[in-house]
Amino acid sequence: MSWDWSYAAQILPDLLWGVWVTVVVTTACSAIALTGGLAIAVIGSTCGPAGRLCVRVMIELFRGVPILVLLYFGFYALPQIGVTLAPAAIGILVLGVVYAAYCSEVYRGALMTIPPGIHDACVALSLPTRVIWLRVLLPLAIQKSMPALINYVLVLYRQSAFLFAIGVPVLLARAQIAGYQSFRYLEPYTLAGLLYLLMNLPFVYLLHRYRMTNAGAHA
Amino acid sequence: MMTAVFEYFPAILDGLLTTAIVALLSIIGAAIVSVLLGVLRNSGQMHVRAAAGGAVELLRGASALVYLFWAYYALPALVPELPRFDPFIASIAVLSLVGGAYGSEIVRGGLQAVPRGQSDACRALGLRPHQALIRVILPQALSQIVPGFASLAVDLVKWTSIVSFVGVQDVLYVANSVRSITYETTAVFLIVAALYWVLCLLVSLTFLAIERTLPLNRALRASRRPTELPLKGRPLSAQPLVLQE
Repeated sequence: MSWDWSYAAQILPDLLWGVWVTVVVTTACSAIALTGGLAIAVIGSTCGPAGRLCVRVMIELFRGVPILVLLYFGFYALPQIGVTLAPAAIGILVLGVVYAAYCSEVYRGALMTIPPGIHDACVALSLPTRVIWLRVLLPLAIQKSMPALINYVLVLYRQSAFLFAIGVPVLLARAQIAGYQSFRYLEPYTLAGLLYLLMNLPFVYLLHRYRMTNAGAHA
Repeated sequence: MMTAVFEYFPAILDGLLTTAIVALLSIIGAAIVSVLLGVLRNSGQMHVRAAAGGAVELLRGASALVYLFWAYYALPALVPELPRFDPFIASIAVLSLVGGAYGSEIVRGGLQAVPRGQSDACRALGLRPHQALIRVILPQALSQIVPGFASLAVDLVKWTSIVSFVGVQDVLYVANSVRSITYETTAVFLIVAALYWVLCLLVSLTFLAIERTLPLNRALRASRRPTELPLKGRPLSAQPLVLQE
């Protein structure tokens, strides 16, 4: 079986639709992961030993279990306890929450590297706690975590292919359906692979630009 | 209520064994690929460095799942002379290559962290480059590489869950069958999640043990021992001049 250009052209619109779904899913997951991670990190560092322990347990639980198992769990087990959600919603929630756990570690590390003197200075100025967090500590932590966070969004984008397992029409799912329908797997999977690779480029550009501006700031 | 699941527990354990074997072989394969690619990325020749870097970026560019599907379904169509892949072998090959691409970054960082003077000294002593790498640089770099590789190995254990898609009967594959027979969805997936979790824990504990046996770490521990002795108790001047005990 050799490469068939007309077939490739015929399935391309379908695959591009899958690209769009992948972008939407990645954006939604990232929103959950980035804000949820921040919330977890703040809870972990303000709520004393009990809060820290809860956060630790949650992170360790999510770390040791494959995403696929969590996806199946959400897809098959949640309806049994009365929670019915669309597959896309389950997928976005699972990926988002798992990566929120990962991102919280990044934020936590960034919060730890902020010199304690800054916090002391804010207290000395008798700033309200809300202002200390929202205007001083969090902006610093977010700025420090930026490269690692972009990297996690990139990982999230790559992992979004897993959502095909529960029937979310991401790019890989489109390729699989196209392959089923015509019994030709070469073109769909090759095109899907190439599209997945191409979609890395915006992230590479972002990271590169971030490094450039940061190098400029330090120079 | 859960008795139906326990009836199938031996089958799930069989699946767990398959998962463990796939994970073990992929970790070993990924370690080999990481060292190869990591060394090539530090090569003195520009084009070798560029080619290795390109391969790493290519392999990291999409998830292992996409590569597994491509290798299993598309590659045989592209190269008809190739014998049909065994799903087991295709899985391990893909996981080793993708894992190795991620690992090569760890190896490269570890090699670069070894002070430059070490390789200069090797050259001054007349060691060939590969001798210097294998006998001097790599053993020292390992104490940097192994901790990083440990978390990659845990990731690889989790990535093995994708092999169920090409028909390898790993623990997730078995769990899905048990689910469709017993309908005890929650119980089945809780058990599987727990099994994966324990497997990941075992892998990280193993790597902690490996870390302790590394030559540089052993040497560091040994060098720390005698110097600690004089600090205790009497002032230094009153210590007898015995450094080894």
